[in-house]
Amino acid sequence: MADKLDVQQGTLALMILKTLEGLGPLHGYGVARRIEETSRHRLKLNYGTLYPALLKLEQEGFIKAEWSQSENNRRAKFYSLTAAGRKQLARETREWNETADLIAAFLTPRRETP
Amino acid sequence: MRYVRAALARIAGLFTGHNADDDLRDELQAHLDMETAENIRRGMNPDEARRQALLASGGLTVAAQAVRDRRGLPWLEGVASDLRYAVRALRHSPAFTVVVVITLALGIGANTAIFSVVRAVLLKPLPHRDGDRLVYLRQSMDGPGGANINFSVPEIRDFRAATPSLGGIAEYSPWFGTLQGDNNPVRIDIGLVTGNFFEVMGLSPVLGRLTTPGDDGPGVPAVMVLTHDFWMKRYGGDSSIVGKQVRLDGMSLTVIGVVEPAPWFPDRMEALANMVISSHHLSALMVEGRSHRMTEMIARLAPGAAVEQARTEMAAVYARMQREHTDAYNPGAHYRVAVIPFKEALGERARLTLWLLMAAAAFVMIISAANVANLTLMRGVRRQHELVVRAALGAGLGRLRRLLLAENLLLTLMGAAVGVVIAVGGVRLLTSFAERYSPRANEIHLDVVVLGFALALSVSLALALSFIASLPREGAFAAAIAAGMRRISGDLRKHRLQRGLVVAQVAVSVVLLAGAGLLTRTMMELSQVNTGLRTEEVLAIDVPLLQVGGGPSNGTDPAVWFRAIMQSDAAAKVRYDQMRREIAALPGVTEVGLGSSVPLRGSSTRFEAKAEGKALPVGEPAVSPDFRTANPEYFSAAGIPLVKGRAFGATDGFGAGKVVIINQTLADRWFPGEDPIGKRVAWTGEVLKFSPISPEWRTIVGIVGNTQDGGQDAPPRAVMFMPFAQELSLGGVVVIRADSNAAELAAAATRIVRRIAPAAPIQSVLTVRQIKDQSVAPQRLNAVLVSSFGILAVIIAAVGIGGVLAFSVSARTNEIGIRMSLGADSGRVQRMILREGGVLLAIGLVLGAGGAFFAAGVIRGLLFGVAPHDPVTFIGVAGMMAAIGIMACWIPALRAARIDPAITMRST
Repeated sequence: MADKLDVQQGTLALMILKTLEGLGPLHGYGVARRIEETSRHRLKLNYGTLYPALLKLEQEGFIKAEWSQSENNRRAKFYSLTAAGRKQLARETREWNETADLIAAFLTPRRETP
Repeated sequence: MRYVRAALARIAGLFTGHNADDDLRDELQAHLDMETAENIRRGMNPDEARRQALLASGGLTVAAQAVRDRRGLPWLEGVASDLRYAVRALRHSPAFTVVVVITLALGIGANTAIFSVVRAVLLKPLPHRDGDRLVYLRQSMDGPGGANINFSVPEIRDFRAATPSLGGIAEYSPWFGTLQGDNNPVRIDIGLVTGNFFEVMGLSPVLGRLTTPGDDGPGVPAVMVLTHDFWMKRYGGDSSIVGKQVRLDGMSLTVIGVVEPAPWFPDRMEALANMVISSHHLSALMVEGRSHRMTEMIARLAPGAAVEQARTEMAAVYARMQREHTDAYNPGAHYRVAVIPFKEALGERARLTLWLLMAAAAFVMIISAANVANLTLMRGVRRQHELVVRAALGAGLGRLRRLLLAENLLLTLMGAAVGVVIAVGGVRLLTSFAERYSPRANEIHLDVVVLGFALALSVSLALALSFIASLPREGAFAAAIAAGMRRISGDLRKHRLQRGLVVAQVAVSVVLLAGAGLLTRTMMELSQVNTGLRTEEVLAIDVPLLQVGGGPSNGTDPAVWFRAIMQSDAAAKVRYDQMRREIAALPGVTEVGLGSSVPLRGSSTRFEAKAEGKALPVGEPAVSPDFRTANPEYFSAAGIPLVKGRAFGATDGFGAGKVVIINQTLADRWFPGEDPIGKRVAWTGEVLKFSPISPEWRTIVGIVGNTQDGGQDAPPRAVMFMPFAQELSLGGVVVIRADSNAAELAAAATRIVRRIAPAAPIQSVLTVRQIKDQSVAPQRLNAVLVSSFGILAVIIAAVGIGGVLAFSVSARTNEIGIRMSLGADSGRVQRMILREGGVLLAIGLVLGAGGAFFAAGVIRGLLFGVAPHDPVTFIGVAGMMAAIGIMACWIPALRAARIDPAITMRST
């Protein structure tokens, strides 16, 4: 079995924002599960990676947190996207796509006619 | 915006930490519970479910800490906790802490004190407006007294006309007079200034007004500006003094204002007045006499002009002046002019001495820093265990460094705090010392900049100490732990840095000791110079009775003024004679003489003189002997030996034939290889016209020995004595020789003087021994300061070398035990340790000798009677350092020799 990838710094914020956009308010556990599933369990998030990232986004004003009851009646802290977070997500998505295109253009072997 | 917001959130996080911690624990716990529940749902048993959840979490504590770091400003919180820890750690090793703090305090204290002096005297901008634009002009020539011969008014006029780079030239001449007042007349130094003086100097009044060009020339009212110091001292800062009349030598002047505090150069001044108070300064001789040089020049550079430009212009004008007036510039005397920034001129006398002291203090700092570094290193090695454990528990290297930094900061800051207390005392001592050297001594303060200096010193020291300590390398922990912490310390050979520091300490100590040795020998040589006097049990009371005044007021015949002076002089002589008779009657008094000058102090009055039939050789400046008077008892009372001929007698009275006694220097100058007795000499020169002294021929009746007037290292001066009764007395000194302790007579003799002349200023009451001591005082202080630095350095270095060896011995206890059990006897072990220290000592000595050789050349100018590379001093210093060093090595060597192999082996 291949080693699980550590999530790259910087991309985690984007993943969290995207997850919250798709699923609405969610607790830390939910976010972690969702990201791991989306990555088909290639990514593994331990708490020491996830919670500082959540706190950072909260400090930057992109997400907000609230204690409330979970689906199976458990008290949990729910994170949800703010308006600024939505804008940030759009911006980061655009930038990320551009970067990905750029890198792809470099990595794909060119077939040029002589 | 986003960063600002995040930063604010983090600062807020500093204060909400406690609640947020609970919050976080709940959140992480919730996460763990949900994951556990999910695992159970998947079919694991509860224990396994929880274990798996915990594994996946990556550690709750680590996560909590990661979040905490993110939340507040972990750096700041870390510093606080590091400091708390540091306090605890240092409290656990009080001996280490005390030694380090004292060592640092001495280093920081000495440096702070001397830096505050250097800053005030040499570095700080002048209080004058745009003070860096002021330049001091100095004319010099070869020969005695030629270092600064001042300028004449025609010279200044020429400079002013042809130096556009000088925006303004101020003139002033030093003058003095007796300021009369209610029962406490005082002799004050006055600067006679041109009206533009304050404008050029860039000084403002604190009260009233200052002089303006309207105060120049004849026929204007006499005005006086008080210096701030004198105003405070004499008038207690009373502002009603402005506009009042004061009496100076019988003249009346109006006080027009008080000038802001400023350094006065080249000498202290109590007040400044316009030239009108001295008819001499308005006379044709002064205004037209090109060789009549008695004016100082300070100029302000024109806007945009540079000093270099002024130098070029001055040189051009000066060359032309010398071509056009060959009579005024004797080519043999090498006349020259220098343009010196005023700030440099003010610091001239102090510079070398102060930099010497600064360097000595810096050396002490280096040595104490090296010692502290060594102590820290050794402590670091003993703490290796603790550090490795901390590292293994997850403290990163950065974190360990910070821990060390906190400890070191605490140490150096405590050192700085104690050091500043030492500096306060040091500054007080140094200020009185600096007053001899610099007009800016009253600017010396421990101010914010100086305290900042101490702070910067201690912080950089702490940084350096934290980074030289070796921390366990990442990855080496496992090996260290596996090794059971036994071999971590290693032997001395591995501790290059410590050995290097010891070598540096020894070397620097040798340099300091050599400097101390040379300066101490200078001081001893100076005190051993024969003053030329037969005894030191002589008390001299300087009490000028004669008021010469500024001269005839405009239009009056100078002869009338001269007659008035001579009358006043005759009256003064009657009172001097009364003092002489009454003091002679005091018990313990052997002899009382009267004269114009205090023994061992030069007189300020000098005129040109000539000997009958002796033409001045071409290219040699004219002889200008000191003008002094003496009564028949003066020479024997002062202990001045009569070399040839006779002393003055009662017959050399006012109407009798004019006679003189010359000193050996003048006799050698005029009559080499001849008998001067009976030859004739006379005062001459243009200045004589402004005094009642006659230019007639006088017969030499005696020759007296040279005395060290004006300092033990001063070159001998030419002196001509006139009988006190026959000539203008010019000031008055009562010279009292006692059969034993002359100082004890001071009170009684002063009472007599006071009673006979209640309105006269008593300038000084000093014994010859005190005068001599005063003249050596700067050198003594140099020697004492550098010697104490040197001794301090040696003690610290000895502690350093001994400490490093002791450490080496304790680190090698096992090795030594093994050696001994294999047959090495204790003598051999002792030699081994001694050799180890000896090598360090030897390298340090060689390096130090090299450094001292260089340093001695730099301080050449402060030495007297001893060669800069004096072999006796160097060998003595090396021997002393070696002896102390070996003694310091002996203690750890003895301890090594007493190691019991059996105990050592068992404890391994």
